[in-house]
Amino acid sequence: MLANYIKIAWKVLLRHPFYTFITLFGISLTLTVLMVLTSFLDHLFGSHYPETSRYRSLYIQQMIQRDSARTSRNGGPMSFKFLTQYAKSLKTPERVSISTFYSTSNAYVGSRRIKLNTKFTDADFWQVTDFEFLEGKPYNEQTIAGGDHVAVITDDFKRQYFDNLEESAVGKDIEIENLHYKVIGVVKGSPVTRIFTYADVYFPYTAPKSNYQRTGFRGDYVAILLAKNKQDVPVIRTEFQDRINRIPMPAVSDGFKFDILEVPSEPYVENFIGMILDGGAGLRMLFFSLIAFILFMLLGLPAINLVNVNVSRIWERASEIGIRKAFGAPVRTLVWQFIVENVFITFIGGAIALILSFIIIKLINASGWIAYADLTINLSVFLVSVLVCLVFGLLSGVLPALRMSKLSIAEALKS
Amino acid sequence: MITLKNIEKVYRTTRIETLALTNINLSIAPGEFISIMGPSGCGKSTLLNLMGLLDEPSAGQVQIGGEVVTQYRDRELARLRNRKIGFIFQSFHLINDLSVIDNVEIPLLYRKGDAVGASRREMAREALEKVGLSNRMKHFPGQLSGGQKQRVAIARAIVGRPDIILADEPTGNLDSAMGNEIMNILQQLNAGGATIVMVTHDETMAKQTHRLIRLFDGALVGDSVLARTDD
Amino acid sequence: MISHLFKLIWNKKKAHALLIIEIWASFMVLFGLLSLIVFNIRNYSQPLGFTYENVWAIGLQSNQDTVGIPQKAQRIFQRLKAYPEVASVSRASNNFPFSSSNMNTRVDHEKRHTMVEYYIVDAHFSNTLEMPLVAGRWYRGADSVGKFKPIVINQKASEELFENENPLGKIISKDKQVIGVVGNFKGKGEFMSNQPALFEQLDENNDWNKTMLVRVKPGTDAMFEAKVVKDLSAMQAGWSVEVDHLTDSRKTQHNLTLVPVIIALIVSGFLLVNVALGLFGILNLSIARRRGEIGLRRALGATGRGISTQFIGEIWVLATFALLIGLLFAVQFPLLDVFDLQRGIYVTAMLIAVGIIYGIVTLCALFPSRQAAMIQPAVALHEE
Repeated sequence: MLANYIKIAWKVLLRHPFYTFITLFGISLTLTVLMVLTSFLDHLFGSHYPETSRYRSLYIQQMIQRDSARTSRNGGPMSFKFLTQYAKSLKTPERVSISTFYSTSNAYVGSRRIKLNTKFTDADFWQVTDFEFLEGKPYNEQTIAGGDHVAVITDDFKRQYFDNLEESAVGKDIEIENLHYKVIGVVKGSPVTRIFTYADVYFPYTAPKSNYQRTGFRGDYVAILLAKNKQDVPVIRTEFQDRINRIPMPAVSDGFKFDILEVPSEPYVENFIGMILDGGAGLRMLFFSLIAFILFMLLGLPAINLVNVNVSRIWERASEIGIRKAFGAPVRTLVWQFIVENVFITFIGGAIALILSFIIIKLINASGWIAYADLTINLSVFLVSVLVCLVFGLLSGVLPALRMSKLSIAEALKS
Repeated sequence: MITLKNIEKVYRTTRIETLALTNINLSIAPGEFISIMGPSGCGKSTLLNLMGLLDEPSAGQVQIGGEVVTQYRDRELARLRNRKIGFIFQSFHLINDLSVIDNVEIPLLYRKGDAVGASRREMAREALEKVGLSNRMKHFPGQLSGGQKQRVAIARAIVGRPDIILADEPTGNLDSAMGNEIMNILQQLNAGGATIVMVTHDETMAKQTHRLIRLFDGALVGDSVLARTDD
Repeated sequence: MISHLFKLIWNKKKAHALLIIEIWASFMVLFGLLSLIVFNIRNYSQPLGFTYENVWAIGLQSNQDTVGIPQKAQRIFQRLKAYPEVASVSRASNNFPFSSSNMNTRVDHEKRHTMVEYYIVDAHFSNTLEMPLVAGRWYRGADSVGKFKPIVINQKASEELFENENPLGKIISKDKQVIGVVGNFKGKGEFMSNQPALFEQLDENNDWNKTMLVRVKPGTDAMFEAKVVKDLSAMQAGWSVEVDHLTDSRKTQHNLTLVPVIIALIVSGFLLVNVALGLFGILNLSIARRRGEIGLRRALGATGRGISTQFIGEIWVLATFALLIGLLFAVQFPLLDVFDLQRGIYVTAMLIAVGIIYGIVTLCALFPSRQAAMIQPAVALHEE
């Protein structure tokens, strides 16, 4: 029966190439946008190289200091000392890593200028993250304790800095801002969208200019808390929060007196959204309503369009429906036929969208728009799309089908 | 009023030629009430279309009210249809989304200059009064019976006060009581001076007209003046 | 005839509801997109107010060094000035042109007040960035000894605070005196709107605000840049030295604006093509369905041209319904001042969006209505 339905659907599609085209265009356009979007969101928020354990990580990105009247507010990353004292010593996490966000710098090779981003990290950084070492190895506690001037660089930086790509960069010397460092490892780089791990050159936190010696609360450092498993995440949050709550208030640090201290430890998505929406409830409201509106338009417009075309087309086929009804096909069968037809065309549209998204994602990855971009169509993205496909098919199938079932035989036959 | 000279009509498709009308000569005087009869496919409707300027003959000449329309272009033909001719169809052809009075007004909309706004309304109301439907002006066609629908169509045909009324099986979709009602209205219109040409299958309807023309296989095979039965 | 078309559409409003929603939604999308584009084009057309080619921003960080910072910064300043490749040097706060940081503050004069972009820069700033003064003069080192802090404001700030009065000599926020006015100053690049700006003389004896803006002579290359970094790092070991070319930072700032606009443009473009195709299909179908009516109208005296005019007229009436609803929504943006944009931007966007919608529906109706005009009345009337 289903095969028969599909056969009929296929014939109907071929009989009206123009309308088939309109329908497919609408479906595949919408789904492509949706899939590229989800793929981008997955790229931003999912657990990907080198933060493959993101799903069981907590991020401590900023400290917010307020006075009790809430008139002034001070926020930003913390000092190495503060994080060592309050985060590093936590009991529950598997490991805790402290590092800076990236800062920019330049290196010069002959008459060439290489823009680069540097990051200062502790040894645990390489355990918490999952960097792939193409050459050499990371620095460890001993290297750091020894105060050696060493660096881990990315393959991309190696390509820019060294002429001979065949030769290993390990043991070679790089010069940045008049200081010399010995390369001890080369990693595959991280995309710029992952600011906790992205850089071109990684230094131990004891390297010059890292400012790890600062004694106040505030500084340049952030932390990643890696839980042993997902269940531990809330436990760690509470544990960390307890410690922060025990800091006596009011306190003075870096010349700023404050009564309230907040140091959120959050999963990545929460942290990211908090970063964007650091502007109070009004702005948040506006931001979300804007997103909702855009999404509504993005999905709603093609959907209305599809329903419109389908509703109009039902008349075109009214006589066929009349004949079928006259020969005794029950309304239910006809409605099913129409739904199957719509779902069928939606799946074809979905397949086209899949191919289009694949091409667009490949283009984005290759364009260098985001260095080391690794957008993929993964299973979850695909499943979401298929689900959306189905909703679309039913939405544009059910409404016209309901309308059609109300047509009387005579009326249908007449037109 | 209507003169057809040596009319021939051929329908051509890529493969076949169909001769719909051949060698038709016909002259209709003002004030006549003519019925056209013949079996299905004999060319009755084609003949009516030619008289109504909805179609062009393959050969021959059509005159309406003394005007030879052979060289006329779309705009002039439309003007003639609008001013001189009123149409009535078997299937009424009312626009379901417009109220009765709006349907009746349509011909006046295509008339430039002399009928505007309120006067259009007034003319439509008069036409509806003539067919006895002034109490149904705000109704929609879907709310009317077949006979009422056809009366609306007649009101629409006469609203522009044309000289000629062309009726294509006006009673074909109606039962005999309603059919007689329609015939009565047509006869009244004829008495008022309108020239009426009616295609019909119904011998009794045809007998109520002045002149009966019979068509067979596209040729004129009979043309007889009938005894007046109405007076 | 128009009232006739209104009746046709109005009496079928239920069947047309979805179509009206579709046109309404397209209008809203267009309105949003065009507001964005008009806003940016308007900004872009306003002069920047300074030049940036061959200007480098050298960021300095003293890190763990805490002794004698002002003197050291001064030495670096002098060293930079001494290079033959350097035309001019100016010391400024971190929010130098095209940088990602900004500083705002509220200033007032008598009862009027405004938010200004707040720049702390030295006496050479206007020279280094080639900013012409509209009135008065740029402050000099000697000005700082007076009772008031000497400041320069841009014309926008002058308008906000003094309207048409002469700003020179006026006191702002109790302790600042205007001694000069520049034209525009759009610190974040061409796409930034023309905001009020205030330049306050930099105190060379403090530890902060030590970004050096260096205008090098044309043709200076990375060799010199490397040399500068090397020299400066050697002068102050432990300091970070970071060089940004303003042309690069400008590109970054532009991308921040352009990338979202381009993505929105592409997506909206496809959406509208989609809608146009759908509309075209629907109109085609509706004409196929209304062959009888077309035949009838021809019989009643409509010309072929009259028929096609009617169909285009109908879609216009439909679009007008949708646009009226759309305008009702769109008008809220300027009325409620949602995004703090000039009203003119919204009005322009509305007008263009209305024009484009009429254009699209006309284009979509053109071919089907011509088909309708070619329908043979004799055939259409006898189809049933």
